[in-house]
Amino acid sequence: MKYVDEFRDPQLARRALDEIVRLADAVRKLRDRPLQIMEVCGGHTHAIFRYGLQDLIPPSMEFVHGPGCPVCVLPMGRVDDCIALAQTPGVILTTFGDAMRVPGSRGSLLQARAEGADVRMVYSPADALDLARRHPDREVVFFALGFETTMPATALTVLQAEREGIHNFSLFCNHITIIATIKAMLDSPDLRLDGFLGPGHVSMVIGTEPYEFIAQHYRKPMVIAGFEPLDILLSLQMLLEQIHSGRCEVQNQYARVVARRGNDPALDAINSVYELREFFEWRGLGSIDASGVRLRSTYARFDAEQKFSVPSVRIPDPKACQCGEVLKGVIKPWECKQFGTACTPEQPLGALMVSSEGACAAYYRFGKRRSLSEEPATI
Amino acid sequence: MNEPDARLGALYPHLKTARATDPEALLDSIRSKAADSCALKQQYFAAHAGDLLAAATAIADVFAGDGRMFSMGNGGSSCDAAHFAVEFTHPVTVGRPSLPTMHLADDTALLTAIGNDVGFGQVYLRRLIALARPGDGVIAFSTSGNSDNLVAALEQAARMDVQTFAVLGGSGGNIRSRQLARHILCVESDSIHRVQEVHVAIYHVLWDLVHTLLADRRGAQAS
Repeated sequence: MKYVDEFRDPQLARRALDEIVRLADAVRKLRDRPLQIMEVCGGHTHAIFRYGLQDLIPPSMEFVHGPGCPVCVLPMGRVDDCIALAQTPGVILTTFGDAMRVPGSRGSLLQARAEGADVRMVYSPADALDLARRHPDREVVFFALGFETTMPATALTVLQAEREGIHNFSLFCNHITIIATIKAMLDSPDLRLDGFLGPGHVSMVIGTEPYEFIAQHYRKPMVIAGFEPLDILLSLQMLLEQIHSGRCEVQNQYARVVARRGNDPALDAINSVYELREFFEWRGLGSIDASGVRLRSTYARFDAEQKFSVPSVRIPDPKACQCGEVLKGVIKPWECKQFGTACTPEQPLGALMVSSEGACAAYYRFGKRRSLSEEPATI
Repeated sequence: MNEPDARLGALYPHLKTARATDPEALLDSIRSKAADSCALKQQYFAAHAGDLLAAATAIADVFAGDGRMFSMGNGGSSCDAAHFAVEFTHPVTVGRPSLPTMHLADDTALLTAIGNDVGFGQVYLRRLIALARPGDGVIAFSTSGNSDNLVAALEQAARMDVQTFAVLGGSGGNIRSRQLARHILCVESDSIHRVQEVHVAIYHVLWDLVHTLLADRRGAQAS
């Protein structure tokens, strides 16, 4: 299949891997710890585990799984707010399938539906708008979440609703921006990362320009990567070549999809519908300045937070849950005491176990469990 | 680096502010934050002046009945609690009496002992048990209203017939939803910085009101 087979060629993969091993080992000799490469995007985390790349990389380097799964970083309070909206009389609450399973403090949207709320799964915000057209006597709210990747679709749906004069449609906006979070991590005093695999899908919308401060200001290299195994291996090789030669640049491996200046119509739609919030709360990470957007006042009638009474609750993460530590790379998913016991993809306790792009779900599904030799000795 | 696309600049303000050579962007950021802070204060005091007066009257009652005030909080709110205590204990305005107020985190030996031996959730509760008596008052500062150690101490205060006050932010969290304080002053914003800026104004106003109320009572007794 075009664009698939050529990115899964075993011979090319082996060649790239040999080069990765050579470069990583050469750099490792000059330092006291393995190289730490963060894949920012949850799609990359999923691909790394799905294709077994985690097990192929040399011990001289390791992946740190970044916060790029929007479902995983949604705080419990926002889920509770969404459930409160779903339970408002006359409301049809619509969202994507994985968002329905995210646990709030009193259950998920799926549980709210079981208790009688009208919660419906849709494949796009356009489906939600269509529901609004077909049910003019009901209020249809779309639970909008995701990074810059999904912002254009919801923005264009709002513009479409305005053009058609549809007034029973609104967004509960939880869109977030990945760049502010990368910057927050780079500002962290205990940062140990050596480079980034940049998010391919977000970059398709925003281009490569917004990342340039990472290389210029923070002196960390980045390679925007695609999602097939060879995309990731080639991106790693490019990243290691930069580190090996002491360069810090933003390179674009995913050039077949990502243009340097991004996608003009998508950026226009985002810019006309959304404005930055002063800050947004990220599950496990805390509040990050300028990391979320809301609808501009011009579109207030499509803003569920303006249209309905939303409780705006702030709920701390469950004490047993260590998603925050996993997101920050302090512990690996399997080091969490709940991993695979109280927290599984079927019954997720933490958000990282909910979405297939969450690091814990990826480890659970594709990762190797600890070997016996890694277990602590007992007497 | 070239000037960013205006659309990207709107989405990623740091693309401008990261440049030390662009002071105008930094000045804009300062003005914008100051304007937000002022707007939130005006909004809060316009809507809640009556709540402040009721809280100040209750604090004045505590002092008038020979009671003492205790203050507590965590992190920046602990600093606010300390600031609250020092305002009352060491008034800056000549002629205003010192009023007995104690910051419950001022003893680091005790704080770390309880935290280490029993748990951080008990640090304020244990001190309150040791120090407070019926007729005293305790004021909690919290931007979330969810801190376990404040919740536990307020529950204990109610059991000891100690008057309870809470200065909160956001939705007011557990303290507000469970009505764990008799007087709740909640600044409904999610910005911790802006909330704490309003908190400072709240306790400065409270301090002034309490002294005014007490002076009036002294005046009435003298005449």
